[in-house]
Amino acid sequence: MKKLKLNLGPQHPSTHGVLRLILELEGEKILSCEPDVGYLHRGLEKMAERLSYIQYLPLVDRIDYLASFFYSELLCRTVEKALGIELDKKVCMIRVLLLELNRISSHLLWIGAYLMDLGATSPFFYTMREREMILKLFEKITGQRMMNNYFVYGGVRHDIFALDDIECIINTIEKKILDYENIITENPIFLQRTKNKGIISKETGLNGSITGVNLRASGINLDLRKNDYLYSDINYKSIILETGDSWDRYKARILEIIESCKIVKQTLDYLQKTSGLKQNLINPIGIKLPEGSFYSEIEAPRGLASVYIKSTGEKTPYRLKWRTGSYYAVNLLRKLLINEHLNDAIAIAGSLDIILPEVDK
Amino acid sequence: MLKNIKYTLLSLLIVFKHLFKKPVTLEYPEKKFTVGDFFRGKPVLNSNCSRCGTCLKVCPSGAIKIKQDEFIIDLKKCIFCGNCTFYCPQKAINMSKNYELATSKKDELKLIYNIGGKNEYNT
Repeated sequence: MKKLKLNLGPQHPSTHGVLRLILELEGEKILSCEPDVGYLHRGLEKMAERLSYIQYLPLVDRIDYLASFFYSELLCRTVEKALGIELDKKVCMIRVLLLELNRISSHLLWIGAYLMDLGATSPFFYTMREREMILKLFEKITGQRMMNNYFVYGGVRHDIFALDDIECIINTIEKKILDYENIITENPIFLQRTKNKGIISKETGLNGSITGVNLRASGINLDLRKNDYLYSDINYKSIILETGDSWDRYKARILEIIESCKIVKQTLDYLQKTSGLKQNLINPIGIKLPEGSFYSEIEAPRGLASVYIKSTGEKTPYRLKWRTGSYYAVNLLRKLLINEHLNDAIAIAGSLDIILPEVDK
Repeated sequence: MLKNIKYTLLSLLIVFKHLFKKPVTLEYPEKKFTVGDFFRGKPVLNSNCSRCGTCLKVCPSGAIKIKQDEFIIDLKKCIFCGNCTFYCPQKAINMSKNYELATSKKDELKLIYNIGGKNEYNT
């Protein structure tokens, strides 16, 4: 049969950004896949070499616009580690609360968008409705819906409020999750599109360096929150499933939302009892990191995210490098899509939760 | 088979229920949404400015300029991060609740404040 080269993207509604997949087809079967990234490159790493640490902090929200708190936290944590700043318990709890709310909103958007890829329209509206509640809350607390810029070096911008609203939102989401389960999880069409499709085995997952929910759905217990100092007093269980197909990745995200709701409730219990806020804010002008290299990591919704800063003791870093989860997920598509059908390509690529601004940086 | 029918009917029921619920969207130009106290809209300078230059140093996009008598905020460059508001020692810049900033004239996006008659800014 004649071979055909097909460009999937860069402008394709289901790539959530601009991802170009160069597919080689034989009929409907995919022979090879070459992901082409870089359409959204903004030079965020190079920009860091020009800007001071305080100027760079608002820009890191834009690395992953769906989980902006995680990257803020990552940079704050690295600078705090370098300067030896200790955080108050309450500040830690506020950060955990907002991080987990952000994780919920990110997963909710993924569920809606993935079902839209598969052709189901209603779940998209339902998940967006719930996500809207969280974004409204972020706007109330931090000032903006997505580019929050709420964490600062040594603390947060101002004390948290609207705790009753958060409790109300969490209760609503826990109820609505049951609705999603009824509509989606056992739906026969959804099962046919996702069960046993795009299986990531343990070896493939580890060799491909993917992390986060995608890897945990394959049965590997890797959750950075277990060793994280922010989460030291919090009880939760990490979600580990077995098969590693698209359906498992969906189910893992649903279960992770439920776990995140539990974490939020624990932080709320703590915050409702305490009042006042102790912060260790530093003088914004002339922050200088000591000479050396600094590294820290966090469990972001799309996998392990980390930052590496090499400083020569000046106001700007000598080199700053981001490690993001989606980049490795895109790379894994080379292996995953081989011998699959073209109409399954979108269903498999979507299940990895790829966010292109995070890939290109 | 029976399970498939059950879940198909169940999902149809949930979708059907939503016919009788109120819409969650807002007819924007007619009805306007309210924003919180910490909302970061159009930045506004008040008369407290002492020309210390902190805002220049913390602004990531270079939207603020101080000329001899003028304090200029360029809304085309501003990314509404709120750094200037948070770090200003005099609390001279505030982020207002005004979010409707679309205009047909470029000049309106350049906010020029007169801060003459104060100590010269020098760095």
